[in-house]
Amino acid sequence: MLTLKLAIRNLLRNTRRTILTVMLIGFSLTALILADALTLGMLDILVNSVTKNVVGEAQIHKPGFRQNLDVDLYLSETEKIRDSLDQDPTIAAYSERVISGGMMSSSYNVATGLMYGINADAEGQVTQLPDAIVEGTYLTGTQGEILIGNELADLLEITLGDRLVITLSEANSGELAQALFRVSGIFHFGIEGVDTGLVFANLRQARSVIGLSDQQSHEFALRFTDPSLATMPGTQVYRQLNTDNIETLNWLELNKPIASIIEMSGLSSVIIGSILFILAGLGVINSMFMSIYERLYEFGVVKALGARPARLAALILLEALLIALISCLAGMTLGYLLGSYAAENGVPMGEFQVSGIAIDNRVLLRLELYQFIQYPLFVICLTVVAALYPARFAARIIPTEALQRSL
Amino acid sequence: MAALIETENLCRYFYQSDDIVVKAVDDISIHIEPGEFTAIIGPSGSGKTTLLHLIGGLDTPTSGEVSLSGHRISGMSAGQLSDFRRDHIGFVFQAYNLIPVLSAEENIEYIMLLQGVDAATRKARVAETLRQVDLSDYASRRPAKLSGGQQQRVAVARAMASHPDIILADEPTANLDSKTGIALLDVMKELNETLGMTFVFSTHDEKIMKRASRLIHIEDGRVHKDERKSS
Repeated sequence: MLTLKLAIRNLLRNTRRTILTVMLIGFSLTALILADALTLGMLDILVNSVTKNVVGEAQIHKPGFRQNLDVDLYLSETEKIRDSLDQDPTIAAYSERVISGGMMSSSYNVATGLMYGINADAEGQVTQLPDAIVEGTYLTGTQGEILIGNELADLLEITLGDRLVITLSEANSGELAQALFRVSGIFHFGIEGVDTGLVFANLRQARSVIGLSDQQSHEFALRFTDPSLATMPGTQVYRQLNTDNIETLNWLELNKPIASIIEMSGLSSVIIGSILFILAGLGVINSMFMSIYERLYEFGVVKALGARPARLAALILLEALLIALISCLAGMTLGYLLGSYAAENGVPMGEFQVSGIAIDNRVLLRLELYQFIQYPLFVICLTVVAALYPARFAARIIPTEALQRSL
Repeated sequence: MAALIETENLCRYFYQSDDIVVKAVDDISIHIEPGEFTAIIGPSGSGKTTLLHLIGGLDTPTSGEVSLSGHRISGMSAGQLSDFRRDHIGFVFQAYNLIPVLSAEENIEYIMLLQGVDAATRKARVAETLRQVDLSDYASRRPAKLSGGQQQRVAVARAMASHPDIILADEPTANLDSKTGIALLDVMKELNETLGMTFVFSTHDEKIMKRASRLIHIEDGRVHKDERKSS
């Protein structure tokens, strides 16, 4: 108890230094919490952009289809797949699609792109396509209607009601086929490849143009009841629908650049944390050494009285532990207050793109419990570890030399 | 009577270079009996403090031996020396003896905490030693709120509280004015006479010399003269 009292009073001896040290460590912790929350917020935007838009949380294809979107590599066992998905309690919704690359021609211009044939209702339950409509209306199932990305519409110089001719090759025969559509809606996702290269038509008409039957599709896009199920390898759909003829992949496997970014974001938190805490650790070492040098004579007296080296080392480590605890309390409080505000109001980041996905000018921070458990524990451990060197120095003070210092 | 302190051919040399050797203590053999009030005197740089440090186990001799209460301390490890100092020796230094963030009573208690004395005994001994140095009313004051003389008396009380075999005092009056110095010496002399506590001083203070029962004169690291006064 007296040792604890001694440690507390030693910290209060030079309150300015103690406060500065606490601020250094506390602000580092706050910065780490906020940096991590910001990273999570940006990842949320990326993940939402991917999973809530065209890709979905997982997709089912014929093996090899994704590599070059070969129109001949279609799924024939769609009945079996539908049955399996209907009975799977982890699947909230799915959207069946046909896809073909083709030439899009307007009266003014020509561009290449992908035509998606979709079931309007099912697609609306898997992706946010209905919400992305910025002009016109969503698909109603009427023959000839088509949705086009706003940038592609600009390129083709067409708008609502204008004609769009799509030329593509039929499945199986390879013959060229043409279909006339009228633009019924213009969408904007903020994803470069989507807004500049996709059109969405009704599934029945698209199948007819491509030459597929009602039981043939290129893709199923899935949405799970819990988004975290998508990236769990043991989830039922991955076990049941991964055969020689069917390939089921989650959104991370479908978006390698995004997966890399997510992996790197974890690494960046480690790098940011390491730099912050190396600086904070050096601050602790400096502060503790200043404190020891001020008390050198005193340590000499205490050692002369018979204090064992371990007791002096323990005193220094206890002082460091107290500093760490106070710093964590301050850092967590500040981190929570600032983080909560930014989680509610967002952080203005300007507009920029990550892997072709436009990040809006506000990123909502995401605070998680682990940030207030793991990071403070790191801080406490690192502060105490940083204090080991000064503690060792204090423990090795030679009484006769220390007693000569200030007299 | 068996000697409390025995030094045999005690030497402490400091090697400043290959050619220059400072013989701070050079072949000193002395015996100090229990209950003596001994002053080691000599000019500055004569080796008084070094001798006191060797006797107190704060320094290691170059050669020779030191024994205290029958324990040969010159061969002890650093850890053993710490424990030995804690349990057998009380120290009073020239100044800044006390831990500034602890009160007078906490400073006294601290040494007993090192010894592992239980809380009730600690409390009783703190009260007793403060009474012995006449500072009962200043128990809760921190060193900054005490005069230099009061601080030295607290240091004496702390040394007493550990129930040592001997108290070693390195120029305890050097930073005190004459009147305060005399008052401190009177306290220590009284403890010596009433409790039989053995004191060894290093000093060149005439006041201590007058009160000492024995004067050991040191010059150039050697005992120049060893005189016992008749009481």
